[in-house]
Amino acid sequence: MSIISKLTKALPKNSVISGEENTRPYECDGLSVYKQKPLAVALPSTVDQIKKVLEICKKNNTPVVTRGAGTGLSGGALPLKDSVVLGLSRLTRILSIDPEAQTAIVEPGVRNIAISEAVEEYGLYYAPDPSSQIACTIGGNVAENSGGVHCLKYGLTVQNLEAVKILTIDGEELLLSRQDEGMGLLALMTGSEGLLGVISEITVKLTRKPQQAKLIMAGFDSVRDCANTVAAIIKIGVIPAGLEMMDQFAIEASEAFAQAGYPLDAKALLLCELDGSEELVEDDLNKVMGILSKATSVRVSENEEERLLFWKGRKSAFPAVGRLSPDYYCMDGTIPKRHLGDVLEKINDLSKHYCLRVANVFHAGDGNLHPLILYDAGKPGELEKTEAFGMDILKLCVEVGGSITGEHGVGVEKLDAMCHQYSAAELDVFHQIKAAFDPRELLNPGKAVPTLHRCAELGNMHVHHGKLPHPELERF
Amino acid sequence: MSSIAEFQKKVKHSHQLRITNYGDSSDEGLVNMSSYSGVVEYYPEELVITLKAGTVIKEINKELAKNNQAFPFFIGNPEQTIGSLYATSGAELSDSVLGVQIVNGKGELLNFGGQVMKNVAGYDVSRLLVGSMGKLAIITQISFKILPEKAAQNFQQEAPIKNKENSLRLIYEAKLKKVFDPYGVFI
Repeated sequence: MSIISKLTKALPKNSVISGEENTRPYECDGLSVYKQKPLAVALPSTVDQIKKVLEICKKNNTPVVTRGAGTGLSGGALPLKDSVVLGLSRLTRILSIDPEAQTAIVEPGVRNIAISEAVEEYGLYYAPDPSSQIACTIGGNVAENSGGVHCLKYGLTVQNLEAVKILTIDGEELLLSRQDEGMGLLALMTGSEGLLGVISEITVKLTRKPQQAKLIMAGFDSVRDCANTVAAIIKIGVIPAGLEMMDQFAIEASEAFAQAGYPLDAKALLLCELDGSEELVEDDLNKVMGILSKATSVRVSENEEERLLFWKGRKSAFPAVGRLSPDYYCMDGTIPKRHLGDVLEKINDLSKHYCLRVANVFHAGDGNLHPLILYDAGKPGELEKTEAFGMDILKLCVEVGGSITGEHGVGVEKLDAMCHQYSAAELDVFHQIKAAFDPRELLNPGKAVPTLHRCAELGNMHVHHGKLPHPELERF
Repeated sequence: MSSIAEFQKKVKHSHQLRITNYGDSSDEGLVNMSSYSGVVEYYPEELVITLKAGTVIKEINKELAKNNQAFPFFIGNPEQTIGSLYATSGAELSDSVLGVQIVNGKGELLNFGGQVMKNVAGYDVSRLLVGSMGKLAIITQISFKILPEKAAQNFQQEAPIKNKENSLRLIYEAKLKKVFDPYGVFI
């Protein structure tokens, strides 16, 4: 019996999709330059059904690619040719809400925003807010350790989890909680990109809605002045709920799209959101206003409507830039903030070198850069040129002590870039962690961690003191 | 011991080691971390501090206080070293961990995470090793996110009582021990 028949037999009606045309919606995630149709797509509705899928796939030695809403930006949910896609979008129940303890227990297919909507009546919300939050699932958020624009104050996914239940490839249920004695297995599982286990249930922490939020919008004559102001805000002891920067190109594109009232003459724009009690917001506002002397224009949102309007420009920056170019490629490097001015300057140099325009939007509070490289996939060679440009940006991030990905994950997209950030011995640790949970490599194999051979082949191996690590390894 | 090279040499030439904060260099079965101390880097405007593991918390607190900053987690005993607190804590501390440098059971010097708030490249080893009780690797250096004093206070409550280990977790912990310390050097 084929694996498709086995799955069809084991699951309720209409839970298995197969065939060239039917599997097409699952051939890629949010990074659509990579496409591959799977053998089949299984769409279980219960945890028991997930276990059945895992059991069948394990017996059949068939790889499993777990998928939430498919909004990921690094190809993490890209199917493999001989794989079954395990889609968890039908597990959408909110199992319980505890307003006292400020927690909710949810199934993995619940959408990020749906949690906040469900707990709104208690004055609570789920803090991490990736820009895909209306569509992305909480299970996917855990698998990617997703971020958003409020991470500096409220943390990433990992800081907003109370517990998760994991199904191992053997179908065992592993409950991992913040309160566990011993090693940090909950943190290990968070951001493991579907390689270690299948997330079957999540207990999230809920945050009390702030009494008030105000947004300061300040324009600057230079990126450096803006970057220095970011550092100054942190130095005076204010932790903004959001702290975002945009360069001139991004300002122009967003303003044309959203008409948010952005200063078009500014070289850089700072958005600084302050939230909390009315007293705290007033206090922080005074402090921040006191250090905006270099700003060429300053506006403070006067009401909720205006605050959302100011945000609208920033939040629509990607589609706004998308209007100006047939295609764009979004990078996700992070850097220590003190290098911001230098890094942006070098990105501009690279932009000239490659003859490709780039717009910079930046989670300035936590050092997460999102350069958007504009290109035209229709022109021969331009995608390759764009990828080379992107790789140079990521190398730059690693050189100044940052990371190749702050919140989008490695997936298939950044496998080569991983060779720059980690040594062979470090990558080997990652491979062995994988083997500890999934020795037969059935869970999302080939993603997130490059093979040592791949890195050696690239000639990109992280070299310490001029010596190639593990000289005994074969390289071809 | 006061250098990475010494740690690496000791690990490579030992069968069994206990990581501690006492004992002298003649003690063959001990790795004494207490003299491996000091602030490596501190960027108040980035809310980041990198410390050698043997640094006494009281000393770090003094440095942080100069900039009105503090650790955003509960500290029961400020006489403790930051390395020993890291090795015995849980999620309440790992929420603030950004990166670690370790010497594993093969004597290799490895870095995971870094000094940035967001980093999802590779598995989160710098948070996995929190609570590992010195049984997986010598933690030589740790980077933390810190906060202004007032904001830090919101996170300084004592951690609730820990859940006991269950057998399935222990199986995976044993497997992970082998990843970092295949020869069982650290006891």
